[in-house]
Amino acid sequence: MQPANNLIFSNTETIPGMTIVQSLGVVTGSTVRAKNVFKDIGAGFKNIVGGELKAYTELLQESRNEALFRMLNDAASRGANAVVNVRFATSSVAGGAAELLAYGTAVVAQ
Amino acid sequence: MAESVLLEVLLPVFFVLLITVGPWAASLIGTFFYQSSKKKKLLVREQGIGSNDNLTNLRNPIRSDDVKEFKMVWSSVVMSPSWFQQLLGGIMSLFGGQIDVYRGVVDWARREAQQRLREQVQQQGFDEVINVRMETSTLSRNRGGKDKTAGVEILVYGTAIKY
Repeated sequence: MQPANNLIFSNTETIPGMTIVQSLGVVTGSTVRAKNVFKDIGAGFKNIVGGELKAYTELLQESRNEALFRMLNDAASRGANAVVNVRFATSSVAGGAAELLAYGTAVVAQ
Repeated sequence: MAESVLLEVLLPVFFVLLITVGPWAASLIGTFFYQSSKKKKLLVREQGIGSNDNLTNLRNPIRSDDVKEFKMVWSSVVMSPSWFQQLLGGIMSLFGGQIDVYRGVVDWARREAQQRLREQVQQQGFDEVINVRMETSTLSRNRGGKDKTAGVEILVYGTAIKY
């Protein structure tokens, strides 16, 4: 999923080649996703042998992209043109559901 | 006579064995053959990178020249220990100390995630990844009202730069 706006984002504190003029505060984006039942059964079988659970890897990647997208939208609505120091956090909420959080500092950079 | 014995005794016994012993047999095979073959493949991929590892967790690029292009990159992997490893880990955790079976799985997942990031970055033509962060989280799966660990997720992210 590509963000509609062309915001720059980076997990470094500065943006290479640009100077930060103004900080607009912390922006966050999060998603809570649960697996669909059929894929969960597949993962249950894969759990017997161990190794990578591809269904979960994909699920988390999709939702992380969405969390990031929401964070960027939040930043855009504040009038920022970049987000610096982006961090990810993950936690499992309840059986099978995972919360993905992306946060960073929205800035105006030139 | 022989047919009825086959149908009434052997078939049910066979199915019971398939359901009870089958998964454990699969788990043993998975632990010792499937997982180790995957790990060997990963090792080959890691050796392909050689000494020019492009991941660093420094804040600034080492060659602090002008950076032409940058992009945030991330990769994640969910790995799960097999039933056999979970059983072994459960027994070992009674005695405490180091639990090597779990360490093996988490370590494998971390290497896999790092390797995927390296490959992704190399494909896209970036020179280096700076400010690499790694994060670990467990995924739980609800079974009979009890949360069981389904796997561990390793996330590796950083900023890829091009000189």
